[in-house]
Amino acid sequence: MALHLSMGEAHRRIIEYLARFSDAVSSQDGSALKPLLAVSSNSPYLLSLADALNVFQDSSRLVNQTDKYSLLGEILIPHFRCLQSFRIGRFVDAYVAFEKAANAFLLEFRNWETGWAMEAMHTVALEIRVLAEKADRELALSGKNPEKLQGAGSFLMRVFGALAGKGPKRVGALYVTCQLFKIYFKLGTVHLCRSVIRSIETARIFDFEEFPARDKVTYMYYTGRLEVFNENFLAADQKLMYALMHCDPRSEANIRMILKYLVPVKLSIGILPKMGLLEKYNLLEYKDVINALKRGDLRLLRRALREHEDQFLKSGVYLVLEKLELQVYQRLVKKIYIIQKQKDPSRAHQMKLEVIAKALKWLEMDMDVDEVECIMAILIYKNLIKGYFAHKSKVVVLSKQDPFPRLNGKPVNS
Amino acid sequence: MEKKNRNRAEKSGFQRARETRRNPPSSSNSWKPRPPYRKEAPAAVEESSNPSSSIRERSHNDDDLCSPDPPALVGTCSDMCPEKERAQRERLRDLAVFERLHGNPARTSPSLAVKKFCRTISTTHMQASDIRALPVLQNTLKYLLDLMDSPEHPFEVVHDFIFDRTRSIRQDLSMQNIINDQAICMYEDMVKFHIISHKKLGRCCGKSDVSSLSYLNMEQLMKCLLSLFDMYDINQRSKSIGKKAEFYSFYVLLHLGYKIPKMGDSLSFWYTQLALPVLQSKEMCFARSLLRYSQVGNYKRFFSTIAAEASDLQLCLLEPFLNEVRGQALCYISFGSYKLQPYPLRHLSKILMIKEAELESLCYECGLETSTDEAGSKFLPAKQTSFRLPKAGFQSYSLFNSENNYG
Repeated sequence: MALHLSMGEAHRRIIEYLARFSDAVSSQDGSALKPLLAVSSNSPYLLSLADALNVFQDSSRLVNQTDKYSLLGEILIPHFRCLQSFRIGRFVDAYVAFEKAANAFLLEFRNWETGWAMEAMHTVALEIRVLAEKADRELALSGKNPEKLQGAGSFLMRVFGALAGKGPKRVGALYVTCQLFKIYFKLGTVHLCRSVIRSIETARIFDFEEFPARDKVTYMYYTGRLEVFNENFLAADQKLMYALMHCDPRSEANIRMILKYLVPVKLSIGILPKMGLLEKYNLLEYKDVINALKRGDLRLLRRALREHEDQFLKSGVYLVLEKLELQVYQRLVKKIYIIQKQKDPSRAHQMKLEVIAKALKWLEMDMDVDEVECIMAILIYKNLIKGYFAHKSKVVVLSKQDPFPRLNGKPVNS
Repeated sequence: MEKKNRNRAEKSGFQRARETRRNPPSSSNSWKPRPPYRKEAPAAVEESSNPSSSIRERSHNDDDLCSPDPPALVGTCSDMCPEKERAQRERLRDLAVFERLHGNPARTSPSLAVKKFCRTISTTHMQASDIRALPVLQNTLKYLLDLMDSPEHPFEVVHDFIFDRTRSIRQDLSMQNIINDQAICMYEDMVKFHIISHKKLGRCCGKSDVSSLSYLNMEQLMKCLLSLFDMYDINQRSKSIGKKAEFYSFYVLLHLGYKIPKMGDSLSFWYTQLALPVLQSKEMCFARSLLRYSQVGNYKRFFSTIAAEASDLQLCLLEPFLNEVRGQALCYISFGSYKLQPYPLRHLSKILMIKEAELESLCYECGLETSTDEAGSKFLPAKQTSFRLPKAGFQSYSLFNSENNYG
């Protein structure tokens, strides 16, 4: 396609872009500047420009021959190189060029006093991450060390630094933070999130409420996920619920992502979601876990964990789900209690350990009386059962009042 | 005093190393290329974890694997300790007991002196003659590990010496950016040293300075393990998991302690970075189960599983944690049992795989009382509120399986 492009037409396109770019800057029009930088968007406009650049080949001469363009030359020339490389699928070259352009852009951005170019700066932040990911994939496939995403992270830290001031630019900081989160999660270096989180949450220049809603949702999603990794269930619940409540209700993919982590958190604090919710958002991997909790069926819980082991391990919720075991035991004992109550209400609160062992055996869980006693001791200690156990008599004696306290939104105490 | 300095210096060493870290040149001999991303790989499962989480990123790698700015040096020193350092330390009378010639604190020899770990290292001023070549490092390590069973000195002294000198070996390896199979072997041996130390230090009487030695040992064990895993990632040649699984399991088992160094990310996160065959290996399943039993509180399965499945090294690593679980068991039982039916210690000692007399001591260590009946049998009275975990940590008691008589 590019072959049919004449030099004249190529020249025209490039000049037109340059005019647009410099006009946007001089009239401080952020929304006009933004699409000119969105390399990976593959917009028809940029694609046709890239073709033109590849035909013309000497675009830097065009930039330097006019004063108003050459002033922005440090941005434009590498940016053109990026567009050219990206067009022909050379992503490492594209990234390297874009990084140069981005650094030059950041220098200019620092000098512009108002936040007029914030959208454009955000586009640069997004693009550098996306291009770095593509570059790293190319490097890895050719057996080299993928280090571009790391570099993109360093650049974004500098952008963050430029925004972390008293002026109007500070509301753009949360967007950059979220880009950093995406990078750190991708690189597996989530411990690096800590310092940005600290800056956002403790620096006095930032007022969380001032940030755009969409950025707040993304922020709470990622910080919520970090709380899940660290098993701080109350904090995780609070953050992920915020993300869920403020998320665009039409964005089903995003809601699903939030629920994927919120469901195990809710289960840990004793709240069971309705099956309909799982079906609507395709989270059926949790179906058997929830049924196990409802029925007191430990075998079902184990099976569910085995069946979806890879998925749960990869998303980091496996250890959370494993710990639901105690709640499953509680449910089982409660069911036995209910059955006993129907048979003989006056003696229902006394339960032979043997009976519990038999019930577990029926569920194909082989447990001797010692282990049953051990489990009962834990359930009592962690306040999932009110009562006591008598070793010599081999019974559990349940409290007559509220023998199976609900979790009531708090995790099982450790 | 020495330990305080070490802690402070470690912190500054940490900072400095992070600043000098750079990617090694891809032309260097010892650098092996990263495998493709896990998700790009074909259906055949690969062992690699996320290749982008490179050695340089991890915060644990302060002194272990820092890459120098210029191309990696190749060490030429052929002694266990470079001559310059030997002479200097003779002058300063800075020789460990193992390094003294005929006990003379001012004289050493090439066959006794071992290079010390240097905290304030600057790779730009390093000379090749100060860095030991790989074969020398291998021999040095063997020499050091042979000292483990020295009967003449208390174990803390032996441990301290080997601890420091092996750290120096890792330093020399990292300055030369050696991350090949031999380096892996050496790291594995050093991990074993730290594990055996972990067990032996646990058995020393609960003095407070031993508990800080123990903590530092665990910290170093963690660092070694994490560096080792990075090297496993880089050296992708063999697809089989082999004995690597056991080393991964050590990292999981370390999380059993209630007072372990906070290093790296949460275990949940660490799992997201591991390949499924590793996670599903026998050794890892064992470790993951133990962790579950410990966190849920199932002391019965905890001990019976260890007795049935633990390897020798796993048992060494577990031993100092056993009393923490036993202590918790005492706490649960005292809390939930019926006051007119105190729990017999003999029966409990079988479940907790400990000698009855030691269980009794453990009760006292935890602030619990015992009672005795007319026949002389010991019991744990119910509803005691005085339970506490001992501040200086527990002294280890071994795994006592009355059927097999371990420990």
